[in-house]
Parts: sequence; structure tokens; C-alpha cells
Amino acid sequence: MIYYSLRRLFLLVITLWLLTIFIFLLNYLFPGDPLTNMTGIRAGDEFAYNIARQAYAFDQSIFTQYWHFLEHLLSGNWGQSLVTQRPVFDDILPLLGATLELSILAMLISLVFGVSLGLYAALNLHRPADTIIMGISLSAYSVPVFWLAQLLILLFAVKLGWTPISSQINPLFDIDVVTGSILTDIVLSDVPYRAAAFADALNHLWLPVIVLAVMPLTMLIRITRDAMLDVLQKNYIRAARARGLSEARIMLRHGLPNAMQPVVRQLGLQFSILMSNIIIAEMIFNWPGIGSWLVKSIYERDYPVLQGGLLTLAALILLVNVLVELFHAWHYPQVRKELYAER
Amino acid sequence: MRTLAALLATQCLFILGCSPPSEEIAPLEQGLIYCSEGNPESFNPQLGTSGTTIDATSAQIYDRLIDYDSGQQQFVPALATSWEALDKGLRYRFHLRENVAFQSTPWFTPDRQFNAYDVLFSFNRWLQDEHPYHDVNGGQYPFFVSSGLIHLIDRIERVDDHIVDFHLVRPDSSFLANLATDFAVILSAEYGAELMHLAAPQQIDRQPIGTGPFQFVEFRKDFVIRYTRNEDYWREGPYIEQLVYVITPNANKRMLKLITGECDVIPYPLVDELAKLASDTEIEVTSEVNPNIAFWAFNTEHPPFDQPMVRRALAHAINRPAIIQTIYNGNARLASGVLPETSWAFSEQDQTYPYDPERARQLLAEAGYPDGFSMDIWAMPVQRAYNPNAQRMAELIQSDLARIGVNADIVSYEWNAFRRRLARNEHDSVLIGWVADNADPDNFFRPILSCAAARSGSNRANWCDPEFDKLLVDAISETNQAARKAIYQDIENYVLEKVPLVPIANSLRFQAHRSDIKGVELPPYGGLSFRKARKVAPEDMTAGEPKP
Repeated sequence: MIYYSLRRLFLLVITLWLLTIFIFLLNYLFPGDPLTNMTGIRAGDEFAYNIARQAYAFDQSIFTQYWHFLEHLLSGNWGQSLVTQRPVFDDILPLLGATLELSILAMLISLVFGVSLGLYAALNLHRPADTIIMGISLSAYSVPVFWLAQLLILLFAVKLGWTPISSQINPLFDIDVVTGSILTDIVLSDVPYRAAAFADALNHLWLPVIVLAVMPLTMLIRITRDAMLDVLQKNYIRAARARGLSEARIMLRHGLPNAMQPVVRQLGLQFSILMSNIIIAEMIFNWPGIGSWLVKSIYERDYPVLQGGLLTLAALILLVNVLVELFHAWHYPQVRKELYAER
Repeated sequence: MRTLAALLATQCLFILGCSPPSEEIAPLEQGLIYCSEGNPESFNPQLGTSGTTIDATSAQIYDRLIDYDSGQQQFVPALATSWEALDKGLRYRFHLRENVAFQSTPWFTPDRQFNAYDVLFSFNRWLQDEHPYHDVNGGQYPFFVSSGLIHLIDRIERVDDHIVDFHLVRPDSSFLANLATDFAVILSAEYGAELMHLAAPQQIDRQPIGTGPFQFVEFRKDFVIRYTRNEDYWREGPYIEQLVYVITPNANKRMLKLITGECDVIPYPLVDELAKLASDTEIEVTSEVNPNIAFWAFNTEHPPFDQPMVRRALAHAINRPAIIQTIYNGNARLASGVLPETSWAFSEQDQTYPYDPERARQLLAEAGYPDGFSMDIWAMPVQRAYNPNAQRMAELIQSDLARIGVNADIVSYEWNAFRRRLARNEHDSVLIGWVADNADPDNFFRPILSCAAARSGSNRANWCDPEFDKLLVDAISETNQAARKAIYQDIENYVLEKVPLVPIANSLRFQAHRSDIKGVELPPYGGLSFRKARKVAPEDMTAGEPKP
């Protein structure tokens, strides 16, 4: 296991390193001055520009330049935005919080409902319940996120008036942005109307969370169902039945834990899909997260921000995938066996 | 299983969250949400000309020396209590108001009240090249350059703490009008000195301090601008505790958010959806006569638009009445010249070219383009009071031009990038417009067509004609209104002859708000003011109505 973990972590570091090279090269590929693209300091501001030139070693070879770029990157100096002149790194953290809040909630919901519905469908194989669940999940899977979001907004916000259309909270609630995750920020703040603000934030939250949860939910339903059907064929289930164990015990003690193995393996991939959907959802719901920030930076040709957003999103996806793989290998010994046998 | 139950419990919380809280909560009752169409460029209107920046800052954070009352059509005191013209109009003396406090915020506590030094600081910042703040945050002051104010004011002198004298180079009848615009705001000299001491002068336009009704709290780009009430405001208002701008560039979303109650007031509602909005009893649509002009400007430096004959041909080629019908739904008047109907120098005479494709083709042939040519039409990406849909307008013009053999491409960029590229004159022609900052007819010509405007990059026709500039100077040096009117008619005819631009429409400015909001001022000249805005409870609304 240690060998495997080290190998995975090493791979992660290598991938991240390649990513920094790619981002470094982007500065030269974007139109304009590479140093301005990198730091957000324009040549017009001579004093600051010369300091940056020194700091990034722009009078030396490209390898030295990359080395200095990497140093700045690692020390959290990601340049400043060309539009707002604010440091990119300081702006990223609250945006990341807002994005993580959405993605974690969406992932949790899809996990809870996906697994339970998949299980239910597997136990009712070829009965109406199974057909209905599978039918709905397939059609929901086919609806693109941007379309689903518009439909649900039209229904729940405009027609029924149950929920607002956009943003994290009614902006009249003055909640200080600390982590970016609105629920956490409300708990941390000391405003007198915390309960009302919390309710309002939940009211803003549920629609984007549902929109985002639909895609992984439908996938997880199908994966769980197939995995469960697979497990139910296995000899140890038959043996358990033969020993006269209760059906509930068979399912919860023997069926489900084993069926979860392919589900866990899929979580990393589902998270990646969720992250690309979250960019769209954040734009539609005007969510102050890293996805909408990235898209706006593209519109405004704000290169330092664009790089920062790209790096953060890519690193996040890589990290989650590696963690899921490590958990998968740690929790399921048979996976490890497979891995070593391959070698 | 326990975790599963906990998750299900979270789920229930979600569902509980769906029902809106029944009792009213204080911040919701005492605040107002305005869904603005874009980000402000900065928090100092001196630095820009964009209407979005003006609406977000000028009347909220700052005050001016004098205000213009459009109802009474005269200048009224603001930070100056009275003023007089001396030395045959070469010197203006302003008596400043006493006991006016600057805003006190977490980052600045004023030690003194408003006085003559603040006036000097605010004006010298853009007047004097050597002023320590002149080059801070770009050092461009487009309004003051294009209106000519930067060359008109010779110097400003402090007589005592509450009297200042403005020395002018020549008498100018538009001087007071320019001082009453949203650009001539008063900043705090003390705050400037403190920031200089802290070596952070650029903060002056990012964390602004003024004397206005609202003080700045925070700005999150693309999301919100938050203001709170200035407790020590020197005149009436404000009545709301909190003013929040939610940045919503999409016009459709703005309208939906008004319907769901997420916005209290929205600018530029979609014209074709207006009827639907107006029938809703919760929403009121107001319109104001707005002194504006939508026009199609040619880059007169780019061939073939350097030939007046080509420009005249294109002016004949487009069907303007059809544009008015399609784009404005009849909510605008066909422009009969550059000046709108509301100006005192306006005349009934039609100073435009009629729709005549035959004549257009003939003129093109005479100019040496019998087979036409290719050109770009730049269309604004945003809605403005004068033009709710520039893209669609460009399409109409494109099809009109195809009829005379001219092949047009439509070009657009993000709004701030669009304006930057326009200032660099990268366009062939552009659909844009102008909203007057004051009631003086001069404001319709000098900021958009003079040589000074061409130099500062706000002359969309990139047109510099010394003869035209001479007429403008003649007009402002004249004090007799009838004589001035005659000169402005000559100017109109000169524009008609040279066609640097084709006037299209004068439109109304629309705004929609929830019916429990009262007192949002939409003055004809310049930006929006929330000073007298308030939220009335439903019971008050019925109580306020006269009983039979």
C-alpha cells in the first residue's frame, strides 16, 4: 500500500509540475507582453514593472525565468488582476470556498440518493419500480445542465416564486466573506439576524445544488444498480442466504459494502464532470465561485486571473481523483491485489 | 446508517428552507436593491464617461458645488450656497456651505469639515499636470478634456475657508452647466493627504470618501456594490439604511429578478417586454424624457469615409423610420438633427437625409464606388437609454446597405474593451450615442464632435474640422440666447453638410421598479439618485391614497 501511495503521489506531483510548465508557456502564447500576462503589471507603471522584471528574472534565460515563476507560484504570489489590480491568490480562496460548497453538497446528495435509488432498482429488478427509476435517470442524464437550470428557474423561481434566481444570499444581508462558503460564513459572522440569513442562504442554495446533482445522481444510480446485480450473483451471497440470514442483513452487511467498490472508483470521474458543469451553473446562478470567475476573465482577457483559475480548477480535479484512488485502494484489498498483479 | 440519517436530516433542512421566512427581517425592510447593468470602471466619476459608473457613484457618494433643477430649469445650491459672476464673466465666486461633514468610515475619519481646500483639491487634480494626484489611476479625465473645461479654467483661488474664485480664460455661457454635471464631484483633500502619507494614493478612487448621501462599504466585482446611509448627511435624506447594487448584465435576467422581487429597481428594461411588465400590479415602469441621441458615426479618417459624398450616400441608404419602429417599438422620436426636442436651441426644421436608396447609389457612383465596398459596423454590446438593441439595429442597417451594394460586417466586443478600441479609432463606423450631461446645447456638440474630443478619444467620428470648432467657440462666447440659437442652427446645418454622423433617434429612458419603492430620481441630465428613495409598507400605500 505504501508503495502504491507513493507512486500515486509522485504521479500527482509530476502532473502538477507539467501543469505549471503549461501555464508558464501560456504567458508567451497569449498576445501581449509575457511579463504583464504573468504578473498583471503593465509596462506603463515603470517602477513596478522593473521590480517585477528583476523578481521574475526576465533578463535571463527562459529556464531561469521558469524557476523564478515556480518560486513565486509556490509562495502564493500569483500576480495581480489586469482589471481590478487585486492580488489573484487572495481572491481565489473565497471563490474556491463558494465552489466547494456547491460541489460538496451536490456530490453528497447524488451519493445518498444515487446509491439508495440504485439499490432499490436492483432489488426490484424488471419490476415497474426498476423500469421507472431507470427510465427517469436515463432521460435526466440526457438533459444538458444549462437547459435544466433554465427550466427549473422558470418553474420554481418565476412561475411558483419559491426560490430566488441567482446569487448566494439576499445581498441586503451583510455577511462578511471569510471562507466563501456562505453557510460557514453565516455561522462565523456575528450579525443579529443569523437564523434568517441561514434560511435565506438555504433557499438560494437548493436549486443550483439540485441542478448540479442531477448528472452524477443519474450516473450513480446506474452504476450502483449494475454493481449490486453483479454482487447478488456472487457465491457468498448465496452462501449467506443458505445460512438463513435475514434479507436485510444480507444486503447491508454483505451486498452493499461490496457493491460500493465500483461506485467509489467512479467518484473521481463524477467529480471531474461535476466541475465542468459547475462552471455553467455558476454563470447561470451568478454564483461567486471559481468557475464564473474563470469565464469572466476569459471575456475580459485578464490573463493572470485566467491562469490562476485554470491552475486551481485543474489542481483540484487532480487532487480529488488521486485521493479517491488512494481511498479506493486502501479500503478494498482486492483492488490492491489487482494492481500489484499487473506489475 | 447513522450518517445516512444525518444526510436525510440535512435534506429536510433544505426543504424547510424552501418556504420563505414569514416575518420581515430588519435589513430586508430598510434596504434597497438596484440591479445595475455593469461594473463601474472606478469609484470616481472624474475618471470616466460611462453612464454605468455615473449611476453607481456620482449622486450616491458625492455632491457637487451646484445642482441643476430640471423642473425649474435653473441651477440650485448644493455645496455652494450662492455664486456670482464677476469681471464680465471672467471670474466666478462661490460661497461654500458650512457644517458639511465628509463621510466617516472604518478606513478614514475626517478631522475637519468641508472647506475651500477640498474644492481646490478636487478641481486641481485634473486641472494641473503637476498635481500629486493627477497621474494616479490613469490620469485621464475625458469629460473635462472633451467639454473644454480643462482649458477654460485658468486657476482656482481660495479667498477664505468658505469662498473660492474660479478664474476663466474667456467668458463661457456653459461653465455653470458643466459644474452641475455628475463629473464635477468634490473629493476630500484631507483623505487625499492621508493616502499620500500612507503611500497608497490609488485607494482614493477605490475606497472613496465624499459628502454624499451614501457611504461606500464594499465592492465585489461582478457581484455587488454595498453602500450604507451617511448618518450625518447635510440635506434631506437618505431614507434607506442600505443600498446594494447587484451587477446583472443580462437584460432578461434583470427583468426576471424584478418579477421575483430580487431587484427593487432595474434600469433599461427590454422595450418589447415592457407591456408585459407594466400589466403586473407589483411592478411600475417609469419613463423620463432623456436628452439623448443615438447616432451612427463614421470614422472620417478611414477611407472611403473621408469623403463627405460617401457618408452622405450611406445616410440616404438607411431606412430610419423602420429602425424606430423595430428597435424602439415607437418609444422614440425620429431624430431631426443632433439636438433633441427638449433643447431650447432645437428647431422644427428637418436636418437629416431622407431614405432614398436610388440617390444613395447615385452618390456612391459619383464618389467612385459604383460597385460598393465592404465595411464594419460596430454595435455596442449593452443597452443604453438611447439604444436598447444596437446589435439588431446593426442588422437592419446591414440589410439596407446590401441594397446599395455595400457589404457590412457587424463587430462587437465586451463593453469596456469596446470603448477602449473605439478610443483608438479601430472602427469604420459605430452605432453609439450620447446622453447630455447638462441642459446647454453646447454639450451636444463639443464633447462628441470637436477637435478636443477627437484628441481625447471620445469623438466617435474621429472628426476634426477647424471651421466647426470656430462655430462652437462663437456659440459659447455669445450670451444672447436668440443669437446663440441661430449659431446652433448653423452648426446643425454644418453637420448636415459634412455628415460625420447620422442622427437616428431620441429616445425615452425607461426604468422599472417594484411598486413599494418610491422616490428613485431619474433626472433628465445625468445619473440616477437614491437620495430620496424609500420603501413603503403596503399598508402605508393604501393609507397614503386619498379616500373617496
